Amino acid sequence: MQPGRLTRSSSRTRQNTVTSLAPVIPTSRRSLVGTSGVRRRTGIAYLFLAPFLALFTIFVVTPAIFGLWISVTDWSPYKDEQNFVGLKNYIDLVTPGSITFSDFWQSMGATGIFTVLSVPCLLIIPMLTAILLNNNIRGGSAFRAIFFAPYVLGVAVIGVIWKYLLDTQSGMLNHILGLIGLPDNIPWTVDVPWAWVSLVLVTVWWTLGFNAVILLAGLKSINPDLYEAASLDGAGVFRKFWSVTLPGLRPVMLFVSTTTILASANMFGQSYLLTKGGPANATRTAIMYISDQGLSQDNMAPAAAMSYILFAILAIISVINFRVQREKSG
Amino acid sequence: MNKGIARRAIAATLALGVGIVLAGCAGSAGGSGSGAVPGEDYAGPKVSITFWNGWTGGAAPVLVPKLIEKFNSEHDNIEVKNVPQEWGDIAKKMPLAVKAGKGPDVAVGHGDDIATYAAQGLLLGADDIVDALGYSADDFPEGLMEAGAYQGDQYGIPWSVTPLGLYVNNDVLRSAGIDPAVVPTDKESYMAALETLKGAGIAGEWVDGYVFTGTFEFQSLVWQFGGDLYNDDVTKSTFNSDAGVQALTHMTDLIDQGYSPPNVAQDGNIKGLLSSETAYNWNGVWQTTNESFNQIDWTVAPVPQIGTEKAVWSSSTHWMFLNNKGQNQDKTAAAATFVKWMNENSAGWAETGELPAANDVRNDPALIETYPNLKPFLDSLPYAHYETSAPGITAANALITTALNEALTGKKSPQAALDDAARQADAILEQNAAKYGD
Repeated sequence: MQPGRLTRSSSRTRQNTVTSLAPVIPTSRRSLVGTSGVRRRTGIAYLFLAPFLALFTIFVVTPAIFGLWISVTDWSPYKDEQNFVGLKNYIDLVTPGSITFSDFWQSMGATGIFTVLSVPCLLIIPMLTAILLNNNIRGGSAFRAIFFAPYVLGVAVIGVIWKYLLDTQSGMLNHILGLIGLPDNIPWTVDVPWAWVSLVLVTVWWTLGFNAVILLAGLKSINPDLYEAASLDGAGVFRKFWSVTLPGLRPVMLFVSTTTILASANMFGQSYLLTKGGPANATRTAIMYISDQGLSQDNMAPAAAMSYILFAILAIISVINFRVQREKSG
Repeated sequence: MNKGIARRAIAATLALGVGIVLAGCAGSAGGSGSGAVPGEDYAGPKVSITFWNGWTGGAAPVLVPKLIEKFNSEHDNIEVKNVPQEWGDIAKKMPLAVKAGKGPDVAVGHGDDIATYAAQGLLLGADDIVDALGYSADDFPEGLMEAGAYQGDQYGIPWSVTPLGLYVNNDVLRSAGIDPAVVPTDKESYMAALETLKGAGIAGEWVDGYVFTGTFEFQSLVWQFGGDLYNDDVTKSTFNSDAGVQALTHMTDLIDQGYSPPNVAQDGNIKGLLSSETAYNWNGVWQTTNESFNQIDWTVAPVPQIGTEKAVWSSSTHWMFLNNKGQNQDKTAAAATFVKWMNENSAGWAETGELPAANDVRNDPALIETYPNLKPFLDSLPYAHYETSAPGITAANALITTALNEALTGKKSPQAALDDAARQADAILEQNAAKYGD
């Protein structure tokens, strides 16, 4: 892969994201000049947006609204008519003892545990990786490609690879641990807490390259003069990191942390393939449970209600994340 | 990214929903009412029929097109179109497709799915077809026709069975000083062999807490101890009976007494057998086609009788005739002809690691001559138990695996794990009764 191209496209991602995440404020002075010009330009913009908007409406907005409708009915694919049941599906989900209550909240808890464990790793490790790669070291682009490589693999592939590596009895990891005198019977995919360690480890290995590349682009966009000025003021390595690097990365960090939290909260494949949600249902995530209820067991109405609860919680977390990071920068 | 998967899953759910509502507006035929199927081959005008199956792996993708080509060449007025796809995709697409009149004319389904499809009104009752083709329960292993029935009506015609067996690594046995020619058949001889292996530092059977194959072993043991998974009308789970507890305790004992290591991952045991780390593995007949076995000296035997009677788990697949909106009776008749021909020509099906269901084919001595490894499986069919036939049963079955997993990882005692699972399974059975309009 061409490193130059990669960097460019990454920084473009960053810029786009910053515009789309931040409130839209007309920053260009020229846009305030002539209204007719604005209108024409807006018209062209809409024209270019139209194809995506059409797909977005058909495949995201419409199903989302339809899902909201399903969640307030007793919707079943086997009946010809569906009855409005109000908030029953939602009330069932918060009523202890209902058929879905304990399983749903257990799965939400599993999602929470995974998010809390994985997000710090997925921010700190890629950050350190990016800082290392940002030094003009020999073969830097090769390393960048190596770190990014796992990300191009599908979850099915990494699932199969790690299932072999993490097998309790015949896995390579336990074998190596045994060779250096450590316990060689760690149940990496079979029992908690090890299953969580494995899931986080695999996820970090798999996706750290993506965050690292975006953070690297952020690092490259920090004006070198600032570092020079800081050096002149007598700042050491850590002071420079704290006072120049971190503030400079803030807009990128907002994007990376938001997408990472959402991705972790929607984890599905790793648990599904590596631990089968086990032991018992300890690592069954919310998405796993929702898809099982909705797609495998055809309980689409409760599943739709669960999706909306998950959506609401993620929306709240995202808003808090935005607020916190914006206050810091302000 | 993962977010994409979630969004796609939800979008797919919803998109599917829209389609079904539209199909629902058009009004579904529902119920069962099969066309008259002549006993002899379909003789009407030329029709083209669609055949859905989940045979996407192993020997099937080569074998099935060959069979269909042969059938098509022998039948001028029938053209069968083979549509292989993932089993999971079939289950998701079937309701929508059939209600829109775009489903297949004939399909193959697993025993535990037949009732679910039937309850949805997706299947034609096959009683008339069975009569017309001249089939009776005696043409198949005992209990197999019943495994394709729901509420007293026949919906599935048997195609294949896949029982569990005991796979043995002979080299490992020899290294522990056991003569591989002596195969354990009961609890006493099995435990004695495990004890000898343990003395040689080998955990003889690695027990896992996953569907493949711990759940199959557990279910076999429940039946061996005289129990059953559910009551007769499948309204209550009974896998937490004494028999169930004995079965699960046997499995946890294997771990506690050092005959099995703890924390075996899914497929960890078959990997252990293949790498000569363990001696015995309870696994399905499908493993006879696993080429990795070529690297070890192995045999396969019927599973030993641990409980009070002989029993072994088996899954099954069945032919289903679809109740498409406006289903053409000629096509169903042609499909029946196809089914009968396939069953008559199913000897080669053993190539895929499944046993042909038709007794005539299976009992032909030529079958064992070609596939000697199938003999122990054929021998165990008389006492095989098939999957419970009830709509939505897979959701309740999933809880059996949860209980197994909890007990084997030491989270709960066998009794507590099974009781908890049974309580939840009962709630699901109740929900199913309401959902599928019993």
